Amino acid sequence: MIIMDRKDSLQHIALSKEQKNVIAELRILLIDENRQRAESLTSALNNSRYKISHLVNPDMSLLKQVDEIQPDIIVIDIESPSRDILESLSTISHYNPKPVVMFSGEKDTDTINQYIESGVSAYVVGDLQAERVKPILDAAVARFREFQKLKVELSDTKQQLASRNLIDQAKRLLMKKKNLSEDDAFKAMRKTAMDTGQKLDDVAKTLISFLNTI
Amino acid sequence: MIEPEQTDLTLGFIPLTDSAPLIVAKEMGFFSQWGLNVKLQKQNSWATLRDKLHAGLLDAAQMLAPMPLASSLGLGCAKVKVITPLVLSLNGNAITLSEKLHQEILKENNLVHVTLPLAAYLLQKVISVRREQNRPKLRFATVFPYSCHYYQLRDWLASANISEADLDIVVVPPVNMVAFLQSGEIDGCCVGGPWNAKAVRAGIGLTALTSFDIWQDSPEKVLGLLASFQQTKPNTVIALTAALKQACIWLESIPNRFEAARLLSSDQYLDASVDVIAPSLIGSCLTHITMPPRAIPSYNQFSKSSNGSINVPEYIRGEWLISQMRNAGQLKNIEVPADLVRDVFRPDIYQQMRLKLEDQAVQFYRRSG
Repeated sequence: MIIMDRKDSLQHIALSKEQKNVIAELRILLIDENRQRAESLTSALNNSRYKISHLVNPDMSLLKQVDEIQPDIIVIDIESPSRDILESLSTISHYNPKPVVMFSGEKDTDTINQYIESGVSAYVVGDLQAERVKPILDAAVARFREFQKLKVELSDTKQQLASRNLIDQAKRLLMKKKNLSEDDAFKAMRKTAMDTGQKLDDVAKTLISFLNTI
Repeated sequence: MIEPEQTDLTLGFIPLTDSAPLIVAKEMGFFSQWGLNVKLQKQNSWATLRDKLHAGLLDAAQMLAPMPLASSLGLGCAKVKVITPLVLSLNGNAITLSEKLHQEILKENNLVHVTLPLAAYLLQKVISVRREQNRPKLRFATVFPYSCHYYQLRDWLASANISEADLDIVVVPPVNMVAFLQSGEIDGCCVGGPWNAKAVRAGIGLTALTSFDIWQDSPEKVLGLLASFQQTKPNTVIALTAALKQACIWLESIPNRFEAARLLSSDQYLDASVDVIAPSLIGSCLTHITMPPRAIPSYNQFSKSSNGSINVPEYIRGEWLISQMRNAGQLKNIEVPADLVRDVFRPDIYQQMRLKLEDQAVQFYRRSG
């Protein structure tokens, strides 16, 4: 059951689109069965850049909500069964990863904290004090963005390394099997790539499998 | 007897029919026989159960068989070495379709009734008709990304050349499964007991087949604990494993299984009626409100199968799970260490525990003359 009815949440989206040029508004999807706690969080974030859409009992609508609201951040009680749905968003379903902030009433919050994949989420203690909420959300969003940037950079670097290795390997094979100089081998590959409109590493791949079979 | 280094333990479990070994070990006094004072803590999600185990808030937990491997690889979490010294159960899942999808299958295939176990190719027509009419894709649910449920669902669909592109697969917590089927949010699901039986009893689903119809005798739940916990408290782990093994042996008898269903039904555990817990435990698969149950003697296995003891965490079981994870594309760009399975699956601890159990039996016979 959703506390805020669909119309309201759609208005939110419409509003946020209008305001986008003024302040960068961040949409929060809050999943909490404790109504009181949810209300205090909502009021703590009044007049801030965070706008909350609240789900009391997320049951069936969580995936739909994520689709419709396209939240910038998800806030969830660590004891909610819906945690497993969020866990799958980026693994099974192909949703864009979102920062997830979890809160827990447990005293050992800090202990759990160290074990969560860094940059993806952070835990908040049970009593969501107004003055603590904003900095925590700010930090979570910032950390998440930093982490995503690093991830993209890492995969780019890995990709570059892999293609350089392929090209080197193909070049060496050409030099050995066709008695070419290094320069000529590279030029031959580059020419093939340009003539056939392929990427240099694709040409390298084809060459390697071809030269290894003859 | 063995002297555990730590006697007070907190174990995590998810309320499911195959959490029976933990509940039986507690209620039948097997933990206390081994000098352990165990608190069973109900968990609402697999992810939180895992995080609490990683953080040491739980000393050990009932886990989905692929989870210790996923933790050790750092899939979806920080990399933490988790081991399993004991397989707790085999099989136990089933695929249940909503009544609406059941009717769609009958209509599109011109059938009066379906034959069970249901062949996945009967879905092909439904999928193509929906595509032609521009209707939404079928949506199936599973319980966790790193679960046999997910791999079994994929295998069943693949048997009819249905790929994940032909339908949506989502994760839904077991507690919400029946409500989702009823509301139409999902068209089918692969889930463990008692949720399949619950959907059938309520008249909102057809249990098309059990996981035993897809994979015969594969590990479903395992005992998971931190490698570091075992290193510092080896005797505690032996005692814990021994008590659970005894519970698994106790669960071998069908009359005991009915008693187990009664224990499980209490609100501190499954909080569900014996009506929906007992059937799978005694080898009955409820199918549909208008159809008779199917006899599936291996629906829940806790100790023995036709191939001998099931509780040994054999390497080959781990390798099989790794191959399933790889097929599902979960190991792309992940470096899998060659000794991963040997680090995680620990038959050596199981064998030590078995010797202790035999010692205890010998002493018992000597005492009783």
